[in-house]
Formats: sequence, C-alpha cells, structure tokens
Amino acid sequence: MNAIELRDIHRSFRTTTGTFRRHRKDVVALDGLSLVVPQGELFGLLGPNGAGKTTTIKILTTLLIPTSGSATVLGHDVVREAKQIRKRIGFVFGGERGLYYRLSGADNLRYFAELYEIAPREIGPRVVELLGLVGLTDRADERVEGYSRGMKQRLHLARTLLHRPEVLFLDEPTIGLDPIGARELRKIVTDLHASGTTIVLTTHYLFEADAMCQRIGVIDHGHLVALGTPTELKANVTDLGVVELEVFGVEPAAIERLRGLEFVDSVVVEQRELRQLVRVQTRLAEQAVAPLLAALGGAQVGRVAVREATLEDAYVRLVGRVE
Amino acid sequence: MIGALRVARAAAELQFKEVAVSGFLLFGALVQPFFIGVMTMFMLRHRPDFDPVYVVVGAALSGVWSVLLFAGSSAISHERSLGTLELVVAAPASFVVVYGGKIAGTLAFSLVSVVLSYAIGAWMFGYPITIADPGSFAVSLVFALVALWATGMLFAPLGILWRTVGRFLGLMEYPIYSLSGFLFPILLLPIWTLPVSYLLPPYWAAVALHASARGDLGLAGLVRVWAVLLLTAAVLMLVSTRLFLAVLRQARRAGSLALS
Repeated sequence: MNAIELRDIHRSFRTTTGTFRRHRKDVVALDGLSLVVPQGELFGLLGPNGAGKTTTIKILTTLLIPTSGSATVLGHDVVREAKQIRKRIGFVFGGERGLYYRLSGADNLRYFAELYEIAPREIGPRVVELLGLVGLTDRADERVEGYSRGMKQRLHLARTLLHRPEVLFLDEPTIGLDPIGARELRKIVTDLHASGTTIVLTTHYLFEADAMCQRIGVIDHGHLVALGTPTELKANVTDLGVVELEVFGVEPAAIERLRGLEFVDSVVVEQRELRQLVRVQTRLAEQAVAPLLAALGGAQVGRVAVREATLEDAYVRLVGRVE
Repeated sequence: MIGALRVARAAAELQFKEVAVSGFLLFGALVQPFFIGVMTMFMLRHRPDFDPVYVVVGAALSGVWSVLLFAGSSAISHERSLGTLELVVAAPASFVVVYGGKIAGTLAFSLVSVVLSYAIGAWMFGYPITIADPGSFAVSLVFALVALWATGMLFAPLGILWRTVGRFLGLMEYPIYSLSGFLFPILLLPIWTLPVSYLLPPYWAAVALHASARGDLGLAGLVRVWAVLLLTAAVLMLVSTRLFLAVLRQARRAGSLALS
C-alpha cells in the first residue's frame, strides 16, 4: 500500500483586495497535483515560495480540504476519514510557533500526549525518552519562552513523535537553525526513516534534499514539474556547467545582456551584502567565461569559478528562479 | 469516555495555568467584581429591601461570567497567535472535548470571584452573609457552573470561523449580566426581553442561586428551576457541538485555521 496518494488535486483560496471597495480574487495554490509516495520512503517536496508545498502538506495532514480531486494517507481519505489519519501521522511546520510558551517543554509534551490519547502509563517514559532523543533533558522543566529557536524546533519534533507516527510531514524543519542544530535535526530524521517511518520533507535547502531524500518532487505553480531521485534530476543538467561571477554593483542591463547570450541557459543573481553572485548555467562551461566577462561590460568583477551542475542547478532549470 | 475525560482534564489544567498568569484575566476575576460589588453595595444599601446576599451572589456571577467570556472568547485567538490551533485540531482528540476542558479550566479559575465577592460583603461591609439553604445553594452553584460553561461553549465556534467575531465576543458581557438578572431582577427590563432571558441558562442559574440563598422558593420550586437550567444548558450544548463540527469543517474548507 502507498503511504500517500494525491490524484488531480486542485485547491484555490479566496483573497480580497481594497479597503472600501473590496474585490474578491481566487488564487490557485494547487492545479491538478498528482503524486504517489510508497511506504517507507523519504520523499522531498521542493518548489519556490507559493508553489503549493505547504498547501499540499496541509491537505495531507487533514487541515485543509481540497477544492477538487482526492487524496489518501495510509489508505484513508483525507476529507472523510480524517480521524483515522490523525492517529497515524505527525507533522512539523517550520518556525518557532506551535508551542505553549508559558509551559515547560515537558508540560507541552505531556499535553499533546493526552491529545494523542496515549495510554497514561506510557506518557511519562515516552516524554523522558523523546526529550533525551532531541537533547532537551536538561532544559525539560524550563518554560518554552526561554528556549532558543533550535530548541523549539527540536521540541516540535519530539511533540510529533509522541504517538510513533507511521507517516511524518516535515515542512521546512531546519529553517532558521544554525548549522549544527540543522545537522542534528537531519540526523534524527534520517534515523527515523531508517526505522521505517515514511517521511515527506519540504525544504529550500537543496543540499539537504540531495543528501537525505530518496526521491524528490518539484512543484511550481501548483503542479508537479519534475519527479525522480536526486541523481535522475541532476542528470537533467549534465550538459551544463555553472559559471559563478562575483561582481560589484552590476547594472540590470548587464544581467539582461547575459540572459540574451545564445549559449546561456539561465542567470540567477544573488545579493550578498555589497556584492552580487551571478550564477550562469551554460553548456560551454569554461569557454563561456571570456564572453560572459565581455557582456558584463565595465562591471567590477571579483572571483570567477566554474563548477559542475548540482541539484540546485537542476532546480533552477526547472522552476527558472531561486528564492 | 475515560479518554475524553483525560483530554478535558489536560485541557482544563493547561487553560488554568495560562489564565492564572494573565494580567488581563486577573483584572476580570479580581478588580472588576470588586468594583461591581462595592458600587452595588453603596448604591443599594440604604434601600429598605436591601439584601446583601443578593449583591454578593450577583457580583460573584458577574465575575465568573466576565472571566469565562474573555478567556473563552480569547482562547481560540490565543491558540491562533501561538500557532497551536492547527496542532490541536489535527490531533485525534475531539476539539469539542478539548475546548470544553478549556472552558472548565477557566471556570475553576473564575471561582476566585466568588470568594472575593463574599469577602466584600462579609468583611469589607460587615454584613452577615448567611445562606438560608446551604445544601441547595451548593447544588445550585454546581448547576450554575454547568449553565455558564454551556453558554461559554456556544460562543467559541464563531471565533474559529470568523476572527473578527471572536474579538468582539467580549461585548456579550453586559447583555448577559442584564438579561440573566445577576444584579437586578429582569422584570425591570422591557417585557420583550423576557423570552430571551428564559432561554439563557445563566438566568436560571441566577434564579437558583438567589432563591437558595434566600430560601424562599422551597425544594420543589428549586428542583423545577434546576430542571429548566439543565434543559436549556443541554440544548445549548447540543447546538454548540453541532456548530463546532460544522465550523471546523468550514474552517478546513476556507483555510482559516492558520490565520492569526
């Protein structure tokens, strides 16, 4: 049995604009998304902001009803059989919210253990075990309001593991964490997957998806634009090399000139304080450096590097932009 | 059933801890009934038919209702602001049970108003606060809490669906005081409001408490009042449960659970 099945899911939201004369507008979040995730897989869901990742997760966690289409989790329909699904899934939404700040970490876990109808005699040992797993044993009795962001994220993970979910949805779980905290969290997630838990992970960190996920789905504008293993996705860009140019105060017109070059596949500009990192995907690789510098005109250029394409480059080719 | 009671108890404990450290709700539980009690004492004590027990009971009910309304109506928006509303809704436990527990926790906290009102009448003004029928009064008090709990449950679902409505539920404070006759008889109100009063469980709670404090209704009369109180509370509970289910489904459809 598949852990997750999405069939032609559509979901739109109604928004309003204007202060006095209000106009209603329907915004399409998912536009015919179909996807299957087998049990035991660690599946990555990638896409730019607004692509529909969180909407997908919320439909699968029974928090949203799709406008049309059908979705099942562990064989249960997300609309009609929400209660059966809720007992068997866990989810973490990225960020610090979702905890009772005036309570201690242990009290938060005990409360959610009751909401997940865990047997009374199991609650104490399970809370102790999970606090140990996420490294919060020493701070368990302190109020959550004094926790760092990383501690709150780890407490979220402990909260969602209380009832031993068979399917886990992690929506940007490492967002805002320091590198060590993020690495620790990734280790826990990898161990959970090794123990048989099906995991759906959304992230903006493509190296994270590359390192952890067995398969990746890329969604953009509400539908699936690519699906495969990280290796398969990267194979889409084996014909490309990437030239990275560090420039200072480059004009938009110069960037447009780069985009207009026949051998250039895509150009992404990343602002880094006073500098910009211009990332050019091109099939010419090293041979493209000289014409690219020429196209930049009089812009002041610092470091120049040429490298092989990564999953991020495959992603850029698919969705045409980075966040 | 035992599982539901455990969930309700956990929610009640959580709510008690949250409201007990809220300055705004401490104001509602302590300062507001203090002003209402003291002012009513000063206003009425020179009247020939003045009954200090009536004022103490009325002030206590007002305090309990204020805390219940403010904490109850803000519970949903508080969960929204913390980002926990989605987590609670997505848990296997019934949200109606969770919210029922929260209202019960608020009620437990609001009992401080009862003690405070007694203290104002007995110690500050020195009146003998004697209850004519303590046994019936205790039963009436329990049933009054049931009545207020059921009324509090009715307002919550609206706050889930419409955030603006949730913010304005506090406006129901004085209408319920007045229509329920907490501090003055409802016969002083326009005649057309009486049917509304009769539909409100808090009105019957006030009747039961005032009557058992004075001992002027007799056991048979009190039993009839308790029966109507429980009947109206059961009707409100039925309506609010159906409303909760409909509203949660609509909130899932509208995507409004995560909005803050």
